[in-house]
Amino acid sequence: MRDAGSLLVLDQVVKTFGGVAAVGGLTAHVRQGSVHGLIGPNGAGKTTVINLITGLFHPSAGSIRFNGAKLEAMAPQDIAATGISRTYQNVRLFSGMTALEQVMTGCYLRRGVSLWSSFLGLPAASSAWRSTREQALHLLDRVAMAHRADELAETLSYGEQRRIEIARALGSDPKLLLLDEPTAGMNHSEAEAVGRLVHELRDAGLTILMVEHNMSLVTAFCDSCTVMNFGRLLAEGDPKTCIADPAVQEAYFGRKNDADRIQALR
Amino acid sequence: METFLDLWAAYGSTVTFAMVNALFALSTYAVLSTGVLSFTTVVFAAVGGFLAAQLSGKFGLPLWAAFPAAALGGGFAAAVVAFAFLRLESHWMALASLALVLITRVTALNAPALTGGVNGLIVPVRVEPLELAILLALCTVVFWRLHRSWFGLASRAVREDAAVASTMGISPYRIQFIAFLISGVVGGLGGAALAFTLQFISPETYFIGIAFTMIASTVLGGSFHWLGPIIGAAVFTALPTTMQAIVPQIEDVAKGVVLLLIMIFLPRGLIDPRAWGLKKAAKLREETEAKRAAERDAHA
Ligand SMILES: Nc1ncnc2c1ncn2[C@@H]1O[C@H](COP(=O)(O)OP(=O)(O)OP(=O)(O)O)[C@@H](O)[C@H]1O
Ligand SMILES: [Mg+2]
Repeated sequence: MRDAGSLLVLDQVVKTFGGVAAVGGLTAHVRQGSVHGLIGPNGAGKTTVINLITGLFHPSAGSIRFNGAKLEAMAPQDIAATGISRTYQNVRLFSGMTALEQVMTGCYLRRGVSLWSSFLGLPAASSAWRSTREQALHLLDRVAMAHRADELAETLSYGEQRRIEIARALGSDPKLLLLDEPTAGMNHSEAEAVGRLVHELRDAGLTILMVEHNMSLVTAFCDSCTVMNFGRLLAEGDPKTCIADPAVQEAYFGRKNDADRIQALR
Repeated sequence: METFLDLWAAYGSTVTFAMVNALFALSTYAVLSTGVLSFTTVVFAAVGGFLAAQLSGKFGLPLWAAFPAAALGGGFAAAVVAFAFLRLESHWMALASLALVLITRVTALNAPALTGGVNGLIVPVRVEPLELAILLALCTVVFWRLHRSWFGLASRAVREDAAVASTMGISPYRIQFIAFLISGVVGGLGGAALAFTLQFISPETYFIGIAFTMIASTVLGGSFHWLGPIIGAAVFTALPTTMQAIVPQIEDVAKGVVLLLIMIFLPRGLIDPRAWGLKKAAKLREETEAKRAAERDAHA
């Protein structure tokens, strides 16, 4: 029923750390071709969910299905090969690599040649390398970073590094892109640009699951959303309706008058 | 010509040992460049060394056949080691590899049929410096190719952040396994090169001395580019000799002091592409700032 049309299905997923449940029986569906928001207050378990989907953690119980594959027992590199790619809440670019090299590394899965023929430098491998390089440059261009291609990524600003990380994640030509707070530390216009990119990608057929704290960006970017609190499902569906939900308001802002106080402080 | 011969008489053996040490350092670099600190190069060297010595001594194998045999032996040993070790956490792996070096020596001492035991083995064949240079050049070409290939990119990613690399479809296990095979082949070649240079080997030949030299060379030269270990081995081998000419009996002190100085002031070694990139970025920033200042002045 709901599973039809869903690219990603989390079914009663549990993850405990030393007896404490970071995710406690979460069920969620991400529709093919949508931008799906994953929201919730700090410590709700959003990053843990992304780590579970990408195989960095394995669920203590429950199942994760993606495009017909059962992910819960698979290794991260095999999950990546099914077409899932991600960014990190705290940017995790490779030290010592230029922006272009980062994105090239992201293209590893679609390099199109064996490690062996690449080592031998066979003509086919060289031309595949050049065309991958072109693709990587194109991806950098999409995030407006092509002019910094040959600079060490660690010397660039935080916002620029975030954009390079998105380009790197797109390198594998994924079906599902997981973005963990992609706009954190960005100013308004940078965040808007990320939103536009996300919509372009969706219109090109990509499915996106993104963690986002800024509620106005959630309503602007997302087609649907899942709200978590204490590792559990709090609300799901249309972003505006979810955010208006009193339970969600309370989880985010405490009691209503606290929320008013927070609003007043801004 | 005369002066060249004089120089060769004085420093020829230093050059020869620098080349042998470069092989050991490259073998260490092979795994270190994928994030694995392992002392097992010494083990691969012992396998290659004794194999080459026995094959040439007992069966009269010529050099050109003994070297490939040593490479195969080292590579095979590496496959076994990688299979056993790659499931360990990195710091335990370093310790386990050290333990294996100790075990190898005791085993070699107690297998006189294979290694000559305490009496050691006389090696009837000698390698010429030119032949060694060719061998090192071949190995260097391999590392140069690796560096510019998908394997090179993947190993840098695995070294910097194996978890992130794995979410990009790179299998850290596979990359590190291949790295071990390369380390084994080059270590085996180095062991044979040492046997054919010294012309006498015993279990003591392949022990802590090599471990210290290869680690020091790699730290000194840098482990972020294949040129690092080669330069490191050259400097580390030449330094004590040149120092000795000035102040006798300084060898071990000099080695230790150099290593400490490098670790304190150049922790990433002499050859560090990242440092060049950082310098370039700093220069670029300075330039844009100067340009901006000039524009501001023009406006004012
Ligand atoms: N590796 C870990 N070991 C132990 N506890 C963990 C681990 N990772 C996460 N947790 C715990 O799980 C809970 C959920 O953490 P998580 O990072 O998933 O939250 P989040 O929703 O991403 O929060 P934030 O908005 O702050 O990023 C937290 O209580 C955290 O302390
Ligand atoms: Mg988080």
